[in-house]
Amino acid sequence: MNLAGRKLLDKAFTILGMLSSGFLVIAIIILLTPIFMKGIGAFVFRATIEYRKMELDLFERGDREELEKEIKQAESARSPLFEKLKNFKEGISNFPPAEKKRLSESFHDFEMCLRELLGPFPGESVPELPRNKYGATRWDQALIKLKSVLYKEEYDYTNPSKMGQKIMKPRSKEFAGTSLENLFPYLEQNMEKILQPKFVFYRQFLTDASKDAHFFGGIGPEVIGTIYLTLGAIVFAVPMGILTAIYLTEYSRQNWYTSILRTLISTLSGVPSVVFGLFGLAFFINSIHVSQSKSVIAGSLTLALLILPTIVRSSEEAILAVPKTYREAALSLGASPWKMIVSVLLPAALPGILTGIIISMGRAAGETAPIIFTAAVSLGEAPKLLDIFSQPTPALSWNIYNLATEHQKVDQIRHVQYGMVFSLIMIVLSLNCLAIMLRSRFVKKLKG
Amino acid sequence: MASESMNEIERFQDGNARFLSHNKTTFQIDRREELHNKFFSFLGRSFLLGVTTISSLAVLFIFFFILRDSILFFQQRDIREFFFSTQWFPSRDPSEFGAGAIFWGSFLVTAGACAFAIPIGIMTAVCLSDILPFSARQILKPLIEILAAIPSVAYGFFALVVIAPLLQERGGQVLSYLIWLLGAPLAIFFLIIGEMSADKLFPKAKTAANFIITGALILLEFLVLYTLSRHIFLFKISSGTNALNASFILGIMILPTIVSVSEDALQSIGRELREGSYALGATRAETLLLVVIPAASPGILSAVILGIMRAVGETMVVWMASGNSAKIPDPCFNFFEPIRTLTATIAGDMGEADHVSGSMRYHVLFAMAACMLIISFSLNIASEWIMKRTRKKVTGE
Repeated sequence: MNLAGRKLLDKAFTILGMLSSGFLVIAIIILLTPIFMKGIGAFVFRATIEYRKMELDLFERGDREELEKEIKQAESARSPLFEKLKNFKEGISNFPPAEKKRLSESFHDFEMCLRELLGPFPGESVPELPRNKYGATRWDQALIKLKSVLYKEEYDYTNPSKMGQKIMKPRSKEFAGTSLENLFPYLEQNMEKILQPKFVFYRQFLTDASKDAHFFGGIGPEVIGTIYLTLGAIVFAVPMGILTAIYLTEYSRQNWYTSILRTLISTLSGVPSVVFGLFGLAFFINSIHVSQSKSVIAGSLTLALLILPTIVRSSEEAILAVPKTYREAALSLGASPWKMIVSVLLPAALPGILTGIIISMGRAAGETAPIIFTAAVSLGEAPKLLDIFSQPTPALSWNIYNLATEHQKVDQIRHVQYGMVFSLIMIVLSLNCLAIMLRSRFVKKLKG
Repeated sequence: MASESMNEIERFQDGNARFLSHNKTTFQIDRREELHNKFFSFLGRSFLLGVTTISSLAVLFIFFFILRDSILFFQQRDIREFFFSTQWFPSRDPSEFGAGAIFWGSFLVTAGACAFAIPIGIMTAVCLSDILPFSARQILKPLIEILAAIPSVAYGFFALVVIAPLLQERGGQVLSYLIWLLGAPLAIFFLIIGEMSADKLFPKAKTAANFIITGALILLEFLVLYTLSRHIFLFKISSGTNALNASFILGIMILPTIVSVSEDALQSIGRELREGSYALGATRAETLLLVVIPAASPGILSAVILGIMRAVGETMVVWMASGNSAKIPDPCFNFFEPIRTLTATIAGDMGEADHVSGSMRYHVLFAMAACMLIISFSLNIASEWIMKRTRKKVTGE
């Protein structure tokens, strides 16, 4: 091959490398953009008047007098609507029987959709569940529900060789020729007056308890549960990890026993996370009965095992990175080995050890599989501090899975799911940023 | 000023003298105290050894408890049925525990993830260690750390909420774009092939032949890509949660592992080898492909093994994105059908199994966990062995 060909090959190789690095960057952007954009939507959004009603009823936030003024405004916009519905209901018996049956069926369907948008109609009994008490609380959801009010979703099966095609059929056609026909344009044009959206910053999302299975409220119990589990894991894993690292670096000799210990610890880091969960169930709960059933303490112990190898390894690296002169200086001043470790070695290695601890905190906060069988429940309050020895807890990571797959109305609480993922990622990433900063300081300090 | 510093010196000397006189007493060696010290240092040492032993024994405990519960399954059931049958009906009466399809699902997803993560990961590592300028490296490295730090449930959520609907509604479209994305870089290779073949076949009219051959090849490639993407554009994927979705996300998840470990391996090769190769007149690509990568190949191999380990053991992503259907897809490497993996079965079925008394359904999950434990253990041993061997080789030279 001549020189030009070799140069071309060189360039091609470079381009290929750039493309793969570019792929990595694009993957991060594609992954994080929707989560960040929609996750922020859980905190900042356009809230309708129904939201303000709900906040006042369930959380006692907001100004009652002002809200009543707004409700009056909204009702004046809503009243022509309800007037028309009433008229239609009364006039439905005038239609011929076949027409009457069809119309009353469509009307019932329509009413259901409208209730989801505006809440129960005036004069109706107030439902038990909060989710039925209020209409659409968020403007983005109100628009989706408006669409279902205006259009009926149907499937076209006329072509047998294809799957059913979705058709959006306007409801106004169903009620053509009745008094309801001009209700639809009125609703569409006066949405803003009817629901009165305003931007709010819902900062209590992180601390509020959830109401009615996450339909309303925040993710407080999950955040607290995650903090419990993470701190619990740290409490168990850090002393053991650091002591192990001290032994392995400062005391152990190079013999078969130490090499076996090292191999075992590195094997621990390769165990799949779901196996940790099974082990936690079989050992901590079913064998030594740390608690009767799932509990925070069992979950913390399981997570502690999971992060133990990381802490051991990072502490070992940090201790080994301390220059030998530090040790020799301390020993030559007459300090005992233990005194040298406590007063010279550990303070010098502390930033490095902290880096490892913080990174493994991030890992413990994000892990799901180990806590499924040992600590996590999908609903309920976070336990009090003294109940952590017997009570399970909701946790961010598990509830993300649970809400995204097993909730009755997955689509209606997307904002909560995104908010949870966003909060979890922010927790983990801020811990990691802290670790990166600490590490750079550590390196600088040791270099002097 | 001068008197002040004199004072300082005096005070210092004074303190020093006091310090020395104070220490004189402690320097006298007391036999009892020495014994005392020795005893405590022995005690502390054995305490440390004990803690270390406990934290290392944890993994043996895991092995013991998982194997103990799984042996109960293997005693009562046919091992061949477990590994080779595909009839998975744990709640039917009589129950059937044929996990063949589940093993295949795990294999399929892992293979799919590796198929695209290994080349991209190694290329990125090479790029990071040898090609990119320092400033770009400084940006890319934290990004890789971020990718590694994102919790797996967030990846799973993304797969379920963003990718799955996209695949289900516009599967053909997405796939045809993917084909263009993967196919277009291939044109680079045709440039090289054109150059080489022109050199060999028509040494007299090199430039013209090169131009014609390369042009024809690239035209042909784009034609093939065009027709392929036209056909695939109309292709419909019945379920958005399938093996393709799971292996794509898994691939992205294992990228950081592969990149960082192989980058370490490439870095550890050192400047001398590279400079020697450059001095002999090799280009950068030749140096990397023929000298550096072969020299770093054990490290890269162990990076790949670590990546595979992570992919096999990953739970949340495959649970959320793979569709959880315990049957072998038809044909068996069909990535567009939902599958089920070992980890997802353990996580999903444990809720229904009887925890306390220990039903067969409980024990079969432990049997699966035991299989995974053995797989990851042997992979771990393999990577350790490779690492150790290279370390010996490097230090031996």
